[in-house]
Amino acid sequence: MEQNQSKGPLQGVTVLDLTRVVAGPFCTGWLADMGATVIKIENPGDGGDHSRVSEPVVNGVSAWYAVLNRSKQTVTLNLKDPEGKALFLELVKKADVVTENFRPGVMDRLGLGYEDLAKVNPKIIFASVSGYGSYGPYSQRPGYDVISQGMGGIMSLTGFEDGPPTKVGTTLGDITAGMNMAIGILAALQCVHTTGKGQKLEVALVDSVFAMVPFEFLLYSITGKVPPRRGNHYNIWCPYGTFKAADGYYQLGVGTEKHFQLLCNVMEKPELIEDPRFTDHIARMANKGVLYPIIDAWAAQYTVKQVAEQLNAVGIPCSGVYDLKDISEDPHFTQRDMIKTMEHPQIGNFSYVNMPVRFFGTPLVEPRAAGDLGAYNESVYTQLLGLDEEKLKQLHEKGVI
Amino acid sequence: MQNKNCGPLAGVKILDLTCVLSGPFGTSWLSDMGAEVIKLENPNGGDYTRKSGPFINGYSNYFATVNRNKKTITMNLKDPKAKEMFFELVKQVDVVTENFKPGTMEKLGIGYDVLKKINPKLVFASISGYGQTGPYAHRPGYDVVSQAMGGIMSYTGFPENGPSKCGPSIGDITAGMNLCMGVLAGLYKAKTTGTGERVELSLVDSVLALTTQDYIDYGHTKILPQQLGNGYSLWCPYGSYKAKDRYYSIGVGTDKHWHDFCTLILKKPELEHDPRFAGPLDRVHNRKEMDEYVNAWAQQLPAAEVVEQVNAVGIPCALVYDFADIEADENFTVHRQMIKTMHHPEMGDILYINNPLRFTESGLKEPEPAGTLGQYNEEIYGKYLGLTPQEVAQLKENGTI
Repeated sequence: MEQNQSKGPLQGVTVLDLTRVVAGPFCTGWLADMGATVIKIENPGDGGDHSRVSEPVVNGVSAWYAVLNRSKQTVTLNLKDPEGKALFLELVKKADVVTENFRPGVMDRLGLGYEDLAKVNPKIIFASVSGYGSYGPYSQRPGYDVISQGMGGIMSLTGFEDGPPTKVGTTLGDITAGMNMAIGILAALQCVHTTGKGQKLEVALVDSVFAMVPFEFLLYSITGKVPPRRGNHYNIWCPYGTFKAADGYYQLGVGTEKHFQLLCNVMEKPELIEDPRFTDHIARMANKGVLYPIIDAWAAQYTVKQVAEQLNAVGIPCSGVYDLKDISEDPHFTQRDMIKTMEHPQIGNFSYVNMPVRFFGTPLVEPRAAGDLGAYNESVYTQLLGLDEEKLKQLHEKGVI
Repeated sequence: MQNKNCGPLAGVKILDLTCVLSGPFGTSWLSDMGAEVIKLENPNGGDYTRKSGPFINGYSNYFATVNRNKKTITMNLKDPKAKEMFFELVKQVDVVTENFKPGTMEKLGIGYDVLKKINPKLVFASISGYGQTGPYAHRPGYDVVSQAMGGIMSYTGFPENGPSKCGPSIGDITAGMNLCMGVLAGLYKAKTTGTGERVELSLVDSVLALTTQDYIDYGHTKILPQQLGNGYSLWCPYGSYKAKDRYYSIGVGTDKHWHDFCTLILKKPELEHDPRFAGPLDRVHNRKEMDEYVNAWAQQLPAAEVVEQVNAVGIPCALVYDFADIEADENFTVHRQMIKTMHHPEMGDILYINNPLRFTESGLKEPEPAGTLGQYNEEIYGKYLGLTPQEVAQLKENGTI
């Protein structure tokens, strides 16, 4: 999967990206991986996107910003300035997509809402991401990932039965909202092909988190009982979750009855197959107090690696529980191109997690680290709007760019 | 928003061979967005989840919702006559999706190399546990394994409990989301270049892709992310706390938030520049002391009042919701339409979680529950292959469909 020469499946798509912090930039980072030209517009007056100072900072530059905004062309533009607004509308004429994550209503107040943009480019796709969405009782509330995890229901399902609702380690709300925004933009691009018209679309962090719990919600809607937290185990399958081997934790996934039979054979306890206490998932869940010690006694003789090899060899899903060091040392992730290295003029070489979708015909583009504030002003404004050096200098002095 | 009944993907045709959760979840979103999804099952029982609970009147609610809008047909891909029919369908669709074990499609003689000769514009998308390449490609995969190996468990939860699983099946769900993205980017490429695309992705990679910022931090410092329970590595107070009656989430992210939190909420302006708390990383470092101040203020207040007060000064804050809370909040049911009802002939009205994308022009398709095994055989084989009802009945008797 050579990323080197490829221009990606989205070659030819131009995105004007006004988003900041995580959710929006994550989305446009993936669009850039897939070959879209992403012009990241930042405010010249206030230092730009505040994730420019987010940890980890190396040699005075944020590595997080550099990764999130990889392969984008960073330009500055003051959208409150009338001349800045006019320049923005000129750019909109040349673009396919505008992305933004201001508080709902801000773009309208700037005179740059969807209706305004559609007047100059009826094919434009206007994509917004916000904490709660642009309508509904909470649309004016400020939102963060932590809020979406709390309100989207996922915390109520994560953690142990006797413990508190628990947050997922990563910023799940931001990341999945970004993914949804990318899906929405791609679907709208398809619609432009068939209808010739653009449209406005939006995603919310809270909705995006809630959309990840469809199955648990069904259980609730049928039984009327709020599902309990199951720690590292699962509501309907057993044994399905985390167990311990001689040197650490491993994951075991018994989904079908065949899996359970295979497990009994690997443990050299074929008599358990016919044991009435273990005939199906429900019976095994009721008798997990008997079953888990049997599994643990067997696994205690082996390392995690040996357990995983034995179980996978017969077709039962199993793996170690990896931390990020294990991941960086396992050839799977390098062979899959999931961990890539990028070169940054200030930071040097550093590695990051790649987008996970693989295109065989048009692989992802080779990444470039994000540029300094306004690094692409000259090339973007010259090439797209035909401005000359003198004009650029003027705009810069006036604080327009 | 859903009543426009076409969706941005109206006109796109998908032949869907996926089963269980990850693939069907992805194609259900594509169907929400208006694509015609033909779900092809083996005549001998079909998708395994038809037999998975929760059941109503003997029908799987899980299956009905995750396969909503799909036209279910049967076909025995090992039957030579069926294979001819399959090729005829491939000529007429835009996308084929599958989540067999890597190599299965090739063994059946219907791999991408064969299908692209029949339809050069075809987008062929695969999901698997570990991917089509890499050392674990042949291993069986489940959500539980992807959460373990994708690194997310290693820093979710509280240290005393060991690595902790996210409650819902986020490996399956995010892989399904990535499938949508890959298919849509592939369609864009097919439209613009005239040649199709082979797309693939894995559950493990999809989970790892959620850890972005934490991985970059690790890559730079070689310090593994800690299990911070309901806290966060960069900001504090940022996480969940307990008020008098229940848990709430709060996010103090910016310096302004911190200033307002000290002066307007805690009413302790002296804390703002206290060296223990002055910067976000100081507060993370002295989290225990910081949390004591937060708790001293909120422990005596009802959580609803905490949420009101904190949002009123512009700091993100919300209750930690379980499903009963979500169902009782009109934000989800009325305004955002995240919970919808569909009518099933056997099960009656069933509730499900809606797709979180909102398209203002094309809307989402009004949902219909999944059909019974082979319910759409006559319609689809009639429309695509020109077969008469008698011919369809004969094929069924022969075991071809």
